[in-house]
Amino acid sequence: MRTDAIAADPLLPGLRVPGNRVSRRAISYWTARAALSGSVVLIVELVFAGMSGFPAPWRAALIATFVLAALHAIIMPRWRFSVHRWEITDEALYTRAGWFSVHWRIAPISRIQTIDSHRSVGERIFGLANVTATTASAAGPVRIHGLDRQLADRLLDQLAVATGQTPGDAT
Amino acid sequence: MTAPDLTGGSDDAALAGDALPVGGALPGGGVLPGGGALAGGGPGGALANGGAGGGTVAGDARAAGALAGDAVLAGPAVAWRRLSRRSMIVRPLTDLVRLLPLVAGLLILHTRTGGGLVWGVLASVFAVATGLVHWATTRYLITAERVYVRRGLLNQKTLSVARDRIRSVDVTAHLLHRMLGVCRVNIGTGRNDLRPGESFHLDGVTRADAELLRIELLTGTAAPGPPAPLAPLAPPAPSAPLTPAAPRAPEPARPSGERTTEILRLQLGWLRFAPLTLTGVVVLGVLFGAVIQITNATEINIAATDPVQHVVTDFTALSVVQRILVGGSVLLACYVLIAMVGYIAVFWDFRLTGIGTDTLRVTRGLLSVRATTISLARLRGVEISESLLLRAARGARCIAIATGLHVGRGAEREGSVLSPPAPRAVALHVASAVLGLPEDLCAGPLIQHGPAARRRRYVRALAGAVAVIAAIYLATRAQDGPAWVWVSSFALLPAAALLAADRYRSLGHRLAGGWLVTRTGTLARRRNIISTDAIIGWRVHQTWFQRRQGLITLTATTAAGQQHYSVRDVPVAQGLALATAATGELLQPFLRKAAAGDLAGSGVAAGDSPRSGVAISY
Repeated sequence: MRTDAIAADPLLPGLRVPGNRVSRRAISYWTARAALSGSVVLIVELVFAGMSGFPAPWRAALIATFVLAALHAIIMPRWRFSVHRWEITDEALYTRAGWFSVHWRIAPISRIQTIDSHRSVGERIFGLANVTATTASAAGPVRIHGLDRQLADRLLDQLAVATGQTPGDAT
Repeated sequence: MTAPDLTGGSDDAALAGDALPVGGALPGGGVLPGGGALAGGGPGGALANGGAGGGTVAGDARAAGALAGDAVLAGPAVAWRRLSRRSMIVRPLTDLVRLLPLVAGLLILHTRTGGGLVWGVLASVFAVATGLVHWATTRYLITAERVYVRRGLLNQKTLSVARDRIRSVDVTAHLLHRMLGVCRVNIGTGRNDLRPGESFHLDGVTRADAELLRIELLTGTAAPGPPAPLAPLAPPAPSAPLTPAAPRAPEPARPSGERTTEILRLQLGWLRFAPLTLTGVVVLGVLFGAVIQITNATEINIAATDPVQHVVTDFTALSVVQRILVGGSVLLACYVLIAMVGYIAVFWDFRLTGIGTDTLRVTRGLLSVRATTISLARLRGVEISESLLLRAARGARCIAIATGLHVGRGAEREGSVLSPPAPRAVALHVASAVLGLPEDLCAGPLIQHGPAARRRRYVRALAGAVAVIAAIYLATRAQDGPAWVWVSSFALLPAAALLAADRYRSLGHRLAGGWLVTRTGTLARRRNIISTDAIIGWRVHQTWFQRRQGLITLTATTAAGQQHYSVRDVPVAQGLALATAATGELLQPFLRKAAAGDLAGSGVAAGDSPRSGVAISY
């Protein structure tokens, strides 16, 4: 695994940044998803506004929604790409995710119970996958979204080998 | 397993050879329209079966082939156990009782229009059929390493769990169960991947079997020998060491060597805490819902009946002030009464006992009896929770944080209560008796989270109050209401400030002696005490607002209880130091080296072993 130089996490002084970024294609995937949900909202508003004949408040609401949705679709994916990171060491899996609010998750490899990989339709189109590692705690799954598909498969194999080596699950 | 059943208590003898008297004995009385169908049909006939009363049937080896790839299950001596035959009655009757309001409505409809009876009969026949199917297709098997449960007719599901994953055994018996001498066994494991509806439960096991199951699963001693296969009327083998349990008698005699120590027993003086909890509100809600359901189904307009009309006319004759006083006191009296009744129904004869050195047993209940057994090795901590009113009366509750027992809003439902709402000293006594927790951990001061957290509490509370005041203002203006309405709502501001101050005081954490203590909340203040070796991983969450104030919310994920326990709004350096001191090697590789130096400077050595008992003191 390629590891960046150990730099402080600008978002959380005290922790260091996880070493690896997610795939660049994730930006396009997130943009497409945001654009899709934004247009659905816009269409619904258009329908309602059309039913009452496009009065002035509805027009203002439509313009505001359009601007907000566009800003969201442009800014959020890039922001998210800069925040999402992951890293696997010999003992633990460490991820950082989010954009407006940020989560860090640390799970020890010896306590991982299952590892899954999911691919929704959108992720398949963009050649992405996400990996979920669950532990004995229902609140403990660690998710990495937006990984490149082959990398995700390699990661699954690596984690499966690493977790198979420790018996017991600390419940 | 025929031995305990044949010698098993007077309830068996009464039922053998007799069709169950359905109509009169049940709480639903004669209302069930399908009563005739039940007494004459399958279950009655099956019960009147020679001398083998309601026992489990042993030795069904045909189940062996279905599970491929498991050598134990394919062997010839495999003996799947079945539920008690009385479960065939329990299931349909429980379902019918649940549908009682609907059924009552149908009956009344029938007397008016003549069409409802058909639906009632169809519904009861369907219920009986599902009960039969449930009994015939549910089997369970206990081998040396695993427990298997198989159920389902069209969709056969086999659930299995390794025996060393079993953390708790929960035995419940509501009124119908107790009349029939059966109960429901819930096996708690550490698994989280079971879908809802796939829980490990066996509904309709005889009481003696349940007791054997509990001993077998939790202490690991084998059941008294496999029963002889394929011999339906095998003579009873004199191997069962237990005396049978009569209804509501004290616990059956245990195998020698197991000491029981009683830790806690209900005292009636604790009833005074009943109205201070939410039990009353929940019961009121349930009653209200049932009343609505019945009135809807039977098309009776309660408001139009004479007594209600009298009360309403008397009420409207009073002045406004009198109305408020009378109405308020009536509501209060009703609430107090219902809360006390609810408390008694849930916590009657509450007993917490330690069995041997490694299990705890909690038994309680009036109409519906519940016995939960928790393996002490899997008890990872306790939660001492006090609602606002309970705190004012110096009361508290103690709830177990154990793997396999989920703690939720309805902790009573989930069987993890270690002490009911009682004086605080009782909860502290339980915590120290069960886990050896020193009193200053359970009730002592905690490290506060600093001025940034306090500011955040005030800002959020006051912003909420301002929002509510603005909404009230807009509403009054929209309806041209009197000005005093929104002016008086300004009283929300000092109330919000008081709330914020209390929330800040309730917030705190501590790490000492291998225990992590965290406390949050005002309306329901919870102090969670968890062992640090139960912490599996960490989550750190920081919203944009928290980032500007240098705060984080640190969450420890565990396999026990609520699955996650948070230290909210703690300054970044303090939170990371806490996590490092609690689970040394886990966080160490991810700390910045310079920051590790900072942490060392503030009194915590990086790489400290988790159980060294370092208390953070800044």
